[in-house]
Amino acid sequence: MKKLLLILVLLMVAVAVLAACGRNGDEQSDATPSPPPVTGQETQPDQQPPLDLGILGPHNPVTWTMMIVTDNMPPAADNWLMERIREELGVTLIFDIVPGDLQDTRVATMLAAGATLPDIIHVTQLDAHMAAGGTLMRLDPFLESGMFPRLQEHHAPYIGRLSFREGPVEPGLYQMATWNRFYTDDQGGGPIMGPTHGGTGFWLQKSVLEFHGFPNLDNMTLERYFDMIEEYMIANPTIDGMPTIGFTFPMLGRVWGMTNPPQFLAGHPNNGEVLVENGIARIYHTSEYAEYYWRALNDAFHRGLVDPESWTRTQDEYQAALATGRVLGFHDQGWAFGTPRDALIEAGRYERTWIPTMPVMRSGTTPWYADRPVLNVNQGIGIPVTSDNPEHKLLFFETLLQPEWQMLFTWGREGIDYHVDANGNFYRTAEQRRNADEAAWRLSNRVEVLWDAIPKIQGSLPCGNAYTPGNQPSEFYEGLSDYFRFFLTSYGLGTWTQFANDPPSNPPYYPAWQAPIPGGTPAAEAAAQIQDILPRLVPGLISAPPGEFDTRWAAFIAEFEMVNTEALEAQIQSFIDDRIARAR
Amino acid sequence: MLMSIPMLLYVILFAYVPLGGWVMAFQNFRPRFGVGPIRNLIEAEWVGLAHFRTLLDTSGHTGARFIRALTNTVGQSLLTLVVGTISAIVLSLMLHEVRQTGIKRFIQNILYLPHFLSWMIVTVLVSMALALPVSGGIINDVLLALRIIREPIQFLAEPRYFWGIVAGANLWRNLGWNTIIYMASMTAIDPNLYEAASIDGANRYRKMWHITLATIRPTIILLIIMNIGWLLASGFEIQFFLGSGPSIARAENIDIFVLRFGIEQHNFGLATAAGVFRTGVSILLLLAANLVAKLMKQETLF
Repeated sequence: MKKLLLILVLLMVAVAVLAACGRNGDEQSDATPSPPPVTGQETQPDQQPPLDLGILGPHNPVTWTMMIVTDNMPPAADNWLMERIREELGVTLIFDIVPGDLQDTRVATMLAAGATLPDIIHVTQLDAHMAAGGTLMRLDPFLESGMFPRLQEHHAPYIGRLSFREGPVEPGLYQMATWNRFYTDDQGGGPIMGPTHGGTGFWLQKSVLEFHGFPNLDNMTLERYFDMIEEYMIANPTIDGMPTIGFTFPMLGRVWGMTNPPQFLAGHPNNGEVLVENGIARIYHTSEYAEYYWRALNDAFHRGLVDPESWTRTQDEYQAALATGRVLGFHDQGWAFGTPRDALIEAGRYERTWIPTMPVMRSGTTPWYADRPVLNVNQGIGIPVTSDNPEHKLLFFETLLQPEWQMLFTWGREGIDYHVDANGNFYRTAEQRRNADEAAWRLSNRVEVLWDAIPKIQGSLPCGNAYTPGNQPSEFYEGLSDYFRFFLTSYGLGTWTQFANDPPSNPPYYPAWQAPIPGGTPAAEAAAQIQDILPRLVPGLISAPPGEFDTRWAAFIAEFEMVNTEALEAQIQSFIDDRIARAR
Repeated sequence: MLMSIPMLLYVILFAYVPLGGWVMAFQNFRPRFGVGPIRNLIEAEWVGLAHFRTLLDTSGHTGARFIRALTNTVGQSLLTLVVGTISAIVLSLMLHEVRQTGIKRFIQNILYLPHFLSWMIVTVLVSMALALPVSGGIINDVLLALRIIREPIQFLAEPRYFWGIVAGANLWRNLGWNTIIYMASMTAIDPNLYEAASIDGANRYRKMWHITLATIRPTIILLIIMNIGWLLASGFEIQFFLGSGPSIARAENIDIFVLRFGIEQHNFGLATAAGVFRTGVSILLLLAANLVAKLMKQETLF
């Protein structure tokens, strides 16, 4: 018993020491150039009382199976952070990793078969089948209990948006928010944008822009986009001995990569399948913007710019094609092709990476490709109803939400993975930066699967540093290659994000793609039918022989007329109306 | 009698009990966790034949898609069955004529090998072979070299090739394997028959036609009847992995349809209805084939 007390006391001391962010806890908040403004919704997590460890700790060791939907790799056996979690919190996690494309199958079988549930469930299905199926605990009573101040603070400002109301279960919070809950606003009221553009765009290889003498990219049109590609392609029919690919897009598994552009060409932000004008949602796949886009691609196809293999490539083949560096242009979202981009950078082929351009259909339309980060809803961690110690698990996530734990996930250990300068700014040496770029190193020193799944502090840490090295301005500049600096200087810009449009603030309903479509309803049926029609008929539109586009377009429209699009539009509309009403 | 009880229990438990799930075809089934599968079924909302009506109403999109899936299933299966059976018989006949046992064994073993590759690997091989020459598509390379085609063909992007791709992949993988039963029944042929035919002046081809083929006819018919029972199951992997692009129009079969609607869209009722429909038609087909065989006074299943 005495021993236990001693351990507890030691732990408290350890936590207290750890709780000092960086080297000189107090000094640095003064040294931070401009402390982030604290608006109504934002708080500084370190003002909260220190956590009472209670049931959580090495005196109470537990082993939990945690189901995580992610494409990241599980940590290596010698991972120090997993070891530290085990030593200091007494928690041993066994990861049950489900790749995104197998999630539906896994969830459906768990629900229908009533199988044993993992101890902790992380799912990212927009339709929240797990919550609707009664698998997850309603978390509101726990958060209201005051036992978990950080988690409560994490969710309270957005609880209306995060509450699940679609299913037969009691409305409430079933999944903790894991992404895009920003704590601090690092541009004085402006949008929180990282230095790299993770959103959507018509990407163009840097060498193409260099070839054209770094042309101004304002007032971009599809015509100009394809002209630039064509001229470069004529001059460079092959890259490294392989035929140059003018334009492609992801399709299998991510059909939206092919079909989303009409809304952007119309100057609208990403609302999934619909354009929202004056609060009214309507499906755009048969609109003039869609016709314009497919006609433009058809034209580019006959100029030999669109790769005919685009629509038969699997996800892996698409990423592999990008990684060869011979793809000049494509439409995709920035977060989705990190692997080939990193591979090109690792190989030193900087000029083969891409920057986002933002073409629109009518000149004068303001592009709205980049949007402000949106809080993920219906995606995140839930505690199964079968759990007999929900408090213990919540306390675990409460603890991980402490800045000092958060830093271990993103920055690592001070002095080993990063350093702190006299002003309290975090920085890394070239070697530390190189380490973090290496996949194998990350498996032993980061736990990306868990980081992907836990509630986290995004924006700035309480000590003023960015929450990840990649978002720390000084780290971003230091990490740039000479070519990248040359490229940015040629445009007179400081970050890649500045190539994208300045995102206006998000409308209160935004984004409409978060509208849940309950399975088995007419709306879900219509959504499924649209997902059947698009990949089946769009390739035929793009590759239509000269003179046949109009007949194929008519056939495409005719197929859409068989779909009950009104049901889907009504479902999305009710979501929009609901959010607008709540925002008032 | 006593010995068959374990097997009987096994079949009842794993083949008949799950049929209880078929009631989902008449329900709007929404599983709730923690109440158990039985209560889930009892508490679900009954919709009668609504799902079957949706499936067979070709004026609606889902109905049209189901009929397309049905057509694809039958088309792919029939093509696979015809191509597979004829090639297996021809190959068996040819192998049967190889007199040196060592060489025959060697050829047979080589022919069996593809059967032991998993469908996943076969799928990757097929997709590579059918790609454009830039991506290493050997079939296009060969056709171009032989001047059969002038422009490379994108096999996987053209729906009209897909049935052929399914039949071809099945043929490549299972050809050797399918000869086993034919070869076995050929070895059972009484050598005296061949001698007698030789004496009557029959040449090699006459003997193949009148003795070998005639003797294995019951085997052929039995195998065809059994395969007709599988006509509405045209496989899954090739269609799933290679048929998600534009070729889906000729790729989506009933199995994929069930997966998409049931597991992916949580429309368990409609998916079950499609499955029940498939089973029903399969049984009818099997009975019909059996009846035809009986009328032709051939070997039958029952």
